[in-house]
Amino acid sequence: MDKNQLSPPYWKWVSAAFALAGIIVFVFATFGPPASSSGFVAVLKGAIAPVAPDYVEAKAHYRMSAGPGAWVFAFVLGMAIGGFIAARTFPAPVRDIPEIWEKRFGSSRIKRYAATFAGGFVILFASRLTGGCTLGLFISGSTQLAVSGLYFGVLIFAFAMLTARIVYGRAGKEGQ
Amino acid sequence: MSSQIWLGLLSGIAFGFVIQRVGATNPDKMARAHLMIEGGIPRFMLLAVLLSAIGLLGLDVSGVGRTLIIPASLVATGIAGVLFGIGWGLCGYCPGTTWAAAGEGRMDAVFALLGGLAGTALFAQVHEILIPLLHAPTNLGQITLADWFGSELAAAVVLVAVFAASILGIGMLWERD
Repeated sequence: MDKNQLSPPYWKWVSAAFALAGIIVFVFATFGPPASSSGFVAVLKGAIAPVAPDYVEAKAHYRMSAGPGAWVFAFVLGMAIGGFIAARTFPAPVRDIPEIWEKRFGSSRIKRYAATFAGGFVILFASRLTGGCTLGLFISGSTQLAVSGLYFGVLIFAFAMLTARIVYGRAGKEGQ
Repeated sequence: MSSQIWLGLLSGIAFGFVIQRVGATNPDKMARAHLMIEGGIPRFMLLAVLLSAIGLLGLDVSGVGRTLIIPASLVATGIAGVLFGIGWGLCGYCPGTTWAAAGEGRMDAVFALLGGLAGTALFAQVHEILIPLLHAPTNLGQITLADWFGSELAAAVVLVAVFAASILGIGMLWERD
């Protein structure tokens, strides 16, 4: 973003946290622990079931997961709609490549998209291995005082911070 | 249940809106958070957990709602945490934010979403091999801090104290909010 422009009007973390906690408690009251990585399974299950019903029936991971028509399916679609509405009513332009990435690796779309595809692949594979993600395991779990959520939370923050240092090197510190 | 669909949709829209507004769907801000430059997003996440934990105590007391503890597996949760952290640090998205960021129109998030679907498909394929191998042997079960600290209330006090200290710590160690 241009230095001369006003910085985009992001919400302050304290007020945003109150808003999010209100939503999380509402979800616990009306559904149960919020989750989003299981939304990926629900979407896949819905996509594969009409084509290969026997495969979906044979695989434990699909059998134990909700499909389309379930809360998690609607929740992840809702998140996309919420993101759409929020971006349309926000003054900062939507970028396909983040500034910090462009500064480090240039403006190649292929490079950035390959990296996010790989990152998305790894985070979902990992989430399904342990049964949750940032929301479904760390946030939902810690809210319920679950040891799994806290253990996962410590590791994801530590390794994301380490990885970001390796990925961005000193470029991350320049030209703030 | 159609009411579940509407509740899920409504909750998702509100959730996606809030995480966009705080900047969590912006991978540039997420990278700056991981690089200890901007502390706003991690502080937002930790405060949201702290407040939700207090809110959930209130729900428990009034007997409303449903909880479900995900089991902790020393090995599987550990490996997953390390891999997840590497992926999160690399792309700046987590499973929830990819949906909201793709909705914003960020093309790199659309690719993260497609990668996520591929990763999910691969795990579903190998679930029968990996769960008995990595998850089951060191599965500690649905343990919570209440098992360690004797009561739900004592455990909640510990959680609130640790999270509050972390929020203050980020405020001191990160360059700005």
